[in-house]
Amino acid sequence: MNDKINEGTPIIQVDGLIKRYGDFTAVNGIQFEVRQGEVFGLLGPNGAGKTTTMELIEGLRKPDGGTAKVAGFDTQTELAQVKQIIGVQLQSTSLFELLKVREIMTMYASFYNNPLSVTDLLEDMILTDKADSRVKGLSGGQKQRLAIALALLNDPKVVFLDEPTTGLDPQARRTLWDIILRLKQQGKTIVLSTHYMDEAHALCDRICLIDQGKVIALDTPENLVRSLQSESAIEFRLQGTEVFTEQGFLQELQQLNDVKQADSRQEVYILYTDHLQSTLLDFVRFTEEKKLLFSDLQTRSATLEDVFLQMTGRRLREK
Amino acid sequence: MSGYFQLVLAQLRIFFRNRSVIFFTLLFPVVLMIALGSFLGNGGGVSLSATLIDQDQTPASRDLIGSLEKQQVVSFSVGTDETKAMDDLKQGDVQFVVVIPVGYGKDITEIEQTGSLSGRNSTQVQVFYDETNLTATQIGLSVLNQTVDQVSKGLTHYNQWVTIQERGIQAVNLKYIDFLVPGIVAMMIMSNNLNGVAAQIAAWRERGILRRMQSTPLRASTFIAAQITARLILNGFQAMIVILIGSLFFGTQVNGSWFLLVCFVILGTLTFMSIGFIIAALAKTPESASPIAGFISFPMLFLGGIFFPIKNMPDWLQPVVQLIPITHLSTALREVMNIGADLSVLWPEALLLGGWMVVAFAAASYSFKWE
Repeated sequence: MNDKINEGTPIIQVDGLIKRYGDFTAVNGIQFEVRQGEVFGLLGPNGAGKTTTMELIEGLRKPDGGTAKVAGFDTQTELAQVKQIIGVQLQSTSLFELLKVREIMTMYASFYNNPLSVTDLLEDMILTDKADSRVKGLSGGQKQRLAIALALLNDPKVVFLDEPTTGLDPQARRTLWDIILRLKQQGKTIVLSTHYMDEAHALCDRICLIDQGKVIALDTPENLVRSLQSESAIEFRLQGTEVFTEQGFLQELQQLNDVKQADSRQEVYILYTDHLQSTLLDFVRFTEEKKLLFSDLQTRSATLEDVFLQMTGRRLREK
Repeated sequence: MSGYFQLVLAQLRIFFRNRSVIFFTLLFPVVLMIALGSFLGNGGGVSLSATLIDQDQTPASRDLIGSLEKQQVVSFSVGTDETKAMDDLKQGDVQFVVVIPVGYGKDITEIEQTGSLSGRNSTQVQVFYDETNLTATQIGLSVLNQTVDQVSKGLTHYNQWVTIQERGIQAVNLKYIDFLVPGIVAMMIMSNNLNGVAAQIAAWRERGILRRMQSTPLRASTFIAAQITARLILNGFQAMIVILIGSLFFGTQVNGSWFLLVCFVILGTLTFMSIGFIIAALAKTPESASPIAGFISFPMLFLGGIFFPIKNMPDWLQPVVQLIPITHLSTALREVMNIGADLSVLWPEALLLGGWMVVAFAAASYSFKWE
């Protein structure tokens, strides 16, 4: 491949991408760079614009503004070159149900000039046993592995995985995580979208937080969590909250010892603090005094979910 | 090239693994053939009219007219002008012209008196009919035959003294099933391609199958070409099966060249497939593709000469009937199979179908969308 770029320079350059559907702006001036060989996470709630962003970079949709370049090739004007070096797994991967695994692999392989060996790829994706089964009979995890195998047929430099683990059971997710990490070891650049923060944390070198079509933060998972002003979170529920107006109650919580921020989401209250013990003691005293009955009390370390919550006031996944 | 080959292969595999689709796409035409071929062949509920020309003007001929008017199936009107009656027949206003020739009464008298006819086996009544209008003629002819037979048996010795001389425009002996099978083949070509392509492409688009292919270097033209090839193979196959079933079990004739027949099958397939691609582009969801396809194909089913002869359509519909592609496909298939017509006769059909194909294909490639 005669790339226009060298090692160390970004393999994907996204500059001011805009995509509108009627009055709705799905992607609103997104800008980032993906480095060669990293796992780049797009994290955000449903409808944040993750899929649209990916499809704009893949050249599947035409942007209303801005540019995207993969390995120096513009995805609008040099789409043919882009297609040769990217592998795509779409969010709702739907394949010909009546074809067998090996048949569909052979078919997609025929679309490329120098495809990899179908047999080897099936082996890599733990699908050798299923090579002669119809797609219809595969489990959710097997279908996703097949979709990833299809994305790898042209030995792509960049692999786009759009919510590959959504809807899978925990074990199937773990298997996919191993596969993604193995791809990274092979030197592939991976753009991964997800709304699971644990997944983003476990897999991604850098995470781009997206909300309402905009980038709200971009950093390593560790730095994102560190950017939170607090280390710990206390969560609880209240019984009989009608007594209080929520705003007023949150203000009272804010007054507790060492509480940096108080939030509430669907009847769950969250207190962020750097001094878990003193906040907790004060909280117990406070509830005694006010004769409040709390339940489901938990303490934990702050996570990406909290980063998102603090930055947007919304949870990644509405429960 | 290998992408094209693989896509054709995939489409054929998908089709042949979809057993219920194969079963029903073949079952439907066969059931139609059996149902229409046998039930309609017995002549229920079809209105037929005939003009009677009595050149003989004897008591015997008036007797025959009386018997003919008693039966319920064909309604008679007595006419005097044979030329006008034949014109009516050609225009499809009547289905038969029955001529009782001069000398009929004399023959009957001779039979009644001597019990035989000198020099001949029978005296004949002439029945002219429009051969292209086979639905009607098969029913009508059998009724007329029966009535004349009864009159004949009323004479002495139960010998068949009076017979009908059938005189069609073309000298081919055709049955209703011969009329029906080309129509059913035309119908299959229309519905499999128009409805099939529209529904499948819309569904593949909805399910993201097309988008996934779009993200590879595969070109749209390769994809469309592969679709067309696979469907041509499938349709040729299905059409041949229906023609074979027709000829093996129902005795349908193929009087013309098989090559020309295959050519028209291909031309029809391409035309309706292109229209199917247009519908797929128009339909926003797979749910709306089928109704749109039905909205287009359903009227064509009745207007296009599949079950009912085109000439039976009212005058104000004729311009529409003459424009829609199915009319020309069914006419062409019918004339090749029934009468053995060649391209020197069928070039207007070929031209019109070809025109439809070119326009539809251009519109289809212009409007094709991966998503």
